Amino acid sequence: MRCEEARQLFDAYLDGELSKSLATELAAHRVRCPACRRALALLEVSGQIIASDREPVTLDEDFSGRLLACVEAPERRWPLRVRRTLFYAGPLAAAAVIALAFLGVFDRGNGAQPHEVAGHKETREVPVYVPGEESTGDSGVNSPDETAAAEYALEQWMKQAQQNSEAKRQSVESLHKALDLTIGQWLDILEEAKDASASEEHFPGADTPLEVDGNETDPIDIPVDPVD
Amino acid sequence: MNENASGADRQQEAQLIARAREGDRVALRELVDLHKDRLFAFIWRMTRNHHDAEDICQEAFLKAFASLGTFSTKYRFSTWLFTIGYRVCLNGLRRKRNVTGELDVSALSLAGENGASQSLESEEAGQLKQKVWEAVDRLSIPQRAAVLLFYRHELSCQEIARVLEFPVATVKSHLHRGRGRLREMLESLNEEDLHQFRSLSG
Repeated sequence: MRCEEARQLFDAYLDGELSKSLATELAAHRVRCPACRRALALLEVSGQIIASDREPVTLDEDFSGRLLACVEAPERRWPLRVRRTLFYAGPLAAAAVIALAFLGVFDRGNGAQPHEVAGHKETREVPVYVPGEESTGDSGVNSPDETAAAEYALEQWMKQAQQNSEAKRQSVESLHKALDLTIGQWLDILEEAKDASASEEHFPGADTPLEVDGNETDPIDIPVDPVD
Repeated sequence: MNENASGADRQQEAQLIARAREGDRVALRELVDLHKDRLFAFIWRMTRNHHDAEDICQEAFLKAFASLGTFSTKYRFSTWLFTIGYRVCLNGLRRKRNVTGELDVSALSLAGENGASQSLESEEAGQLKQKVWEAVDRLSIPQRAAVLLFYRHELSCQEIARVLEFPVATVKSHLHRGRGRLREMLESLNEEDLHQFRSLSG
């Protein structure tokens, strides 16, 4: 037997469909030919691993219970992922609202309240230099020249205000991004749920034909053949 | 899921189906408990995503229960369920492919999946298994389904044909091409590893 002939018998051999005489011939060739021996060994080992390797994942224990709950209450027939997202989306949205409130996004009124953004303390009170009073040093103004001190204090305050404003803008931007992502995910999820409910309506027998690796499969209409 | 199950088993299954059709919750639960793990194992191997596989299993059972009135007990329930599961799985994979383009098998996470078994076996055997599963993941969808159903679920080519809704000849062709690709992808394995694994697995 030549290698080419031997390799044509591999599938029948692995499927257990090879006649005894051909199986004997293949076995004899296998002993003599290292290349065919190796090729067959690769297939046999792959088959053994696929057949016997332990499953690394299992279903949740409460799968049956949840499934039966869906059977009894069709309105619960949301994909598990949607239900999981609903579970997480509520607290996430609440956290976003709290964060926005904390940043003062909703606060357009009283400017006298101090706000703290990203580690910066913003005080909207303008430091006032009162003639005749000694500088306490808090404002960092130590010049005896009153006008210069006032100008310096004003400049410092404006710089601080700009920094705070930038920090707040960045924080709000990042929050907006997070909210946009969540909304995007929601749209995906709703689209999926819509697809799922659409496909339910067509079962069985009216599903769209599928294109898989170039082979168009028939719509599901099961079972097709008798068992025996 | 052996089609050659005894007549008693078939009779028992028929009775179970009859009760389930009447809405017997215990019978429905029994059907789920009997088949969920095998269906999930197959679907998970196809999708390699736990949540997707769980959703698909749920969907498959719900579709099966909704159509239980049309099911004929001359067929095995498991084959019917796998057929539905495979179809739902294909729909899911098609949707995913539409979203992400071609399926990116490199994104399939293998990390830790065989961790438990690796701890009980040699490093070489663990690596060999990982390479084999990586190769399986790179097969086309029908090839992968045929290989999994043949080796892991011990279905005959006729039974696989029923599940995949292909002619038997097409199933054999998928198996043949799947094995060929597996062999190509595993060519880098050395003789010693193969010999060691074969002697270990008896």
